[in-house]
Amino acid sequence: MPQTALQKFKVGWSIQVRVVHALMIRELITRFGRENIGFLWIMAEPMLFGLLVAMLWRVLHGPTEHGMSIIAFAVTGYIPVTLFRHGLARSIALFTVNSSLLYHRQVTILDLIIARFLVEMAGGMMAYAFIAAVLMAFGEFPVPANIGLFIAGWLLYALFTFSLVLVIAPLSEMSEVLEKFLPVTTYIMIPVSGLFSMASWLTPDVRRYFLWSPFVNGMEMMRGGIWGDTITVYYNVWNPIGCSIVFGMIGLALCRRVRKTLTVQ
Amino acid sequence: MIVCSNLFKEYAHGAARKRVLSDVNLSIAPGEKLALLGRNGAGKSTLIKLLGGVEMPTSGKISRKMTVSWPLGFAGGFQGSLTGYDNARFIARIYRRSYADIKEYVEEFTELGSQLKMPVKTYSSGMRARLAFALSLAIEFDCYLIDEIILVGDQNFSRKCHVELFEKRADRAMVLASHSTEIIRESCNRAAVIQDTVLTTYDDVGEAIALYQSL
Repeated sequence: MPQTALQKFKVGWSIQVRVVHALMIRELITRFGRENIGFLWIMAEPMLFGLLVAMLWRVLHGPTEHGMSIIAFAVTGYIPVTLFRHGLARSIALFTVNSSLLYHRQVTILDLIIARFLVEMAGGMMAYAFIAAVLMAFGEFPVPANIGLFIAGWLLYALFTFSLVLVIAPLSEMSEVLEKFLPVTTYIMIPVSGLFSMASWLTPDVRRYFLWSPFVNGMEMMRGGIWGDTITVYYNVWNPIGCSIVFGMIGLALCRRVRKTLTVQ
Repeated sequence: MIVCSNLFKEYAHGAARKRVLSDVNLSIAPGEKLALLGRNGAGKSTLIKLLGGVEMPTSGKISRKMTVSWPLGFAGGFQGSLTGYDNARFIARIYRRSYADIKEYVEEFTELGSQLKMPVKTYSSGMRARLAFALSLAIEFDCYLIDEIILVGDQNFSRKCHVELFEKRADRAMVLASHSTEIIRESCNRAAVIQDTVLTTYDDVGEAIALYQSL
């Protein structure tokens, strides 16, 4: 009996969900093991990074920045940037490292990317929620004014990071040069990630260019969701969405191309 | 049924290109036992990887109308840092099988005992082969892809494999790449020889073996 397109899609979807689920569990076990706190380690690194940098800033810059608690400002900046930097760094040579899994036909290279990114994203989100809760208890973090806007900002930031991962993962298989340049590139991109500054602190001329960065739009939304009306934020949701679609398309095409020539040991 | 039409496979490294298979046309019917013969590096493993969908052909098409195992051999299919049990659990998940059933079968078939709690990277190649074989038998495929001399384990194990694969599953198809002409003569009803990137099939296994031995 011939299957309709919808049935095929349903079957394909259920396989993909199952495979990504299995891959995520595998990733958690291989990276964190079952000892002591186990997979809770996924939030340890973004959390330590965010907190320690925040404390450093507190010492160097004083208690507030433009009316925001400096600790909260640093945490809201660093955790998304950690997702971006780690997401990209962990996508290098992803297919080669996991090639033995490609022996199973239902595991696609896209599943490998999705599973690894979702683990990173879950780690970032858990770290964010945990730090915010602790800091709130100490009065160093405001109660989010608009949690919906915050979540939308986080999702757009993650979506754009994911679309970059879709491009970087196959490119790293095509050229080893990329691997050498990636760390410095992600470092150079920090100023346009919205980590250090808000759009409202800039002159209108500079702000216009600053808002071209999809990261800045996501970051402004997240901070707008946390501080609400006490700060001014500028963003356009279509910027990260549009950029993600463009990079995502390029990434998917590259993945398809790389899969054809991938040598599996 | 597996049908390969006009398969070409080339590997590129930098500017260098190497053609491994040229214009391979091959079909494998249900229940057929096909032997793949050829010298080292002739392209037997490559063809098995293409049949299993592990690597993609440079051009040409493969259609699979029956379930096909992953290539069973000494490498691939496992995550070395995970234990035998964790690998079994992963495979049960992606093939949507009950882990309890698979676990029981694997324990009984591999006789690896407490070794199953150790990471697969600590296994010898024979132990890996046992695990791969047990898992693929527990999942039940219509066609088994067997790369290299996985069947030549210790005597007890190869007898077990023989019973499970050739007696209990006589109705399944199989592609067997091997240098052991004895096993091939015993268990295959068709053979293909790969020589200078070209694949030729023979309905008479004896004829193929004679040709392979003259290579």
